Amino acid sequence: MEQIDLLMQGFAGALSPMNLLWVVVGCLLGTAVGVLPGLGSSMAVALLLPMTFALDPTAAFILFAGVYFGGLFGDSTMAILLNTPGQASAIASTFEGHRMANAGRAPQALATAAIGAFVGGMVASVLVVFISPTLVALSSAFGPPEFFALALFAFIATSSVVADNVLKGLAALVLGIGITMIGIDGVSGLPRFTLGSPQLFDGISLVTVTVAVLALGEVLFVASRVRREQEDLRVRAGGGRPFLSRQELAEAAPAWARGTVIGLPFGVIPAGGAEVPTFLAYEAERRLDRRRRTPKFGKGAIRGLAAPEAAGNATTGMAMGALLALGLPVSATAAIMLAAFRQYGLQPGPLLFETSADLVWALLASFFLAMVVLLVINLPFAQLWAKLLLIPKPYLYGGITLFCGLGIWATSGAVFDLVLLLAIGVLGFLMRRYDYPVAPLMIGMVLGPLAETSLRDALLSSVGDPRVLVSSPITIVIYVLLLGVVALSVRTRTRRDL
Amino acid sequence: MSPQDPVEPPAPAGEHGFWHGRSALLMPGLLAAFSLFLLIGAFLVPAADTEFPGPRFVPVILGGVGLLLAVLLGVGVLRTPEPVEETSGRSYRSHSDFAALAWVAGGFLAFALLMPWLGWILAGALLFWCTAHGFGSRRPLFDILIALFLSSVIYLIFGTGLGLILPSGILGGGF
Repeated sequence: MEQIDLLMQGFAGALSPMNLLWVVVGCLLGTAVGVLPGLGSSMAVALLLPMTFALDPTAAFILFAGVYFGGLFGDSTMAILLNTPGQASAIASTFEGHRMANAGRAPQALATAAIGAFVGGMVASVLVVFISPTLVALSSAFGPPEFFALALFAFIATSSVVADNVLKGLAALVLGIGITMIGIDGVSGLPRFTLGSPQLFDGISLVTVTVAVLALGEVLFVASRVRREQEDLRVRAGGGRPFLSRQELAEAAPAWARGTVIGLPFGVIPAGGAEVPTFLAYEAERRLDRRRRTPKFGKGAIRGLAAPEAAGNATTGMAMGALLALGLPVSATAAIMLAAFRQYGLQPGPLLFETSADLVWALLASFFLAMVVLLVINLPFAQLWAKLLLIPKPYLYGGITLFCGLGIWATSGAVFDLVLLLAIGVLGFLMRRYDYPVAPLMIGMVLGPLAETSLRDALLSSVGDPRVLVSSPITIVIYVLLLGVVALSVRTRTRRDL
Repeated sequence: MSPQDPVEPPAPAGEHGFWHGRSALLMPGLLAAFSLFLLIGAFLVPAADTEFPGPRFVPVILGGVGLLLAVLLGVGVLRTPEPVEETSGRSYRSHSDFAALAWVAGGFLAFALLMPWLGWILAGALLFWCTAHGFGSRRPLFDILIALFLSSVIYLIFGTGLGLILPSGILGGGF
């Protein structure tokens, strides 16, 4: 088995003391931002982007992966104890998880969530190791028309399926792609939309937009609300060991398995990451529960918590595989990691597995290490993490704002970029204020250049004949899938309205 | 029946004027402006001698779609103004807390513009203090200490330790 050998070499790389340190730092940081309501792994990775200037690529991606997975471990802690999901991927865990806590089973709920996230992440990581060669082989058959189809799929799926309002999702997408138009045109070498300003010749940096929209915009939004809304911050603590009885294990195990199976495919479908599969997993368990002799949903059903947790991390694990092998980001966090690869001059995709094999396999090996570390720091200590709420909000957000400024100054060293950061941060605030989703903007910003160059390359090679875009079986499959996704979302939407 | 009675019917829309609940027009407005920027900018690109599809192709499509979306979103806002939710029990002129926003955004602008002169430690401390103040911290003097401590620690870790170039500004003096 070639992959096993490669993975073992990866472990050799990942187990160096420095890389192990980054795994632990990433996991601690990810859990922390996951636990704190309002902060998410996407914001943390955005703020860490400038670290790419100080770290070597392997260390940086190990750190990012730890944060990404850690966010999904930590987000359920507050969902269970406080009825406040740490990030959107934990909303589905809130329903039954908090009821379990109210019924005095908080330690069991936390354990169910941590083990569920572990199972989902582990299965996905194993799968990624074995199917990545297939994905690589598939994507090496990709030319400009296929890449354009893939980018279009990501655009439409993120802006129409995930967003509550299709128009707002598309508007965010147009803004995101539009921003990438500024600067020198990659195909013709002509400057576009620079207003004659030399600072704009290289375009607006993805780092600036990411930090502005995901971090500064969020700070401004919280600032506009924090003194107006009083929160109930009573943590439902509960004594007892954070271990599951044999009966509880028997009850949760099938739900973990089902959640994992539901979550896996969403890692390669660019539908915004872990939110959709967590809800699907919760729905599936609820329907199964109705058929049981003694329905437990509504009274703290362990299965209603186990399934979404497993689904969330299964999606994230597969998403990392799709990012590495296809260069396809399925969520905002993955989009930022793609941006980080570009910072190093690396392009995820089939070539990455050849040119930077040691990086890829060390990173894949670090997934396994991260899962173990996360289980260790979350299973026994979840109640301790809840103490993070004691940090006063003014200092927490003051620190985040300071890090926004630090990150952008570190990457550019120019006042111009700081002012640009503030301007785009205000845009991020307005988008949150008026319920515009920010994920389509990020995906548009990351995939916009790929979409434009591949569309133009394809049309140039066919002398303007648009049929080139649907000339290969792969493109037809992608467009048919896209139609299916859109049809499905239209159906669920109309049903929701009834 | 007291004036604060919750069953009192909502005030007719006319009493608040046109802009009440319609500030959401800001986003379609921004989108329209950005789309026009793309359309006008596209025609200013000196792309006369490039083959189809040249550098204008995608921006023109984007600008057109953007304008269409802006119109649809704008019509949506006009037809159904945002219901003004009252969760706090007190009434404010606007739902957003503009004082807090001004402290954070203003603090950031000051930080950005003063950075080269004040240096990282002082400008960063200013930013932290303004943000904390905007978030409702009630201990201004204690906050100054925390702000200076934090920005100094960052200076030491990232500037001295990791080698990022952070300006020392007026504190640099003769060093």
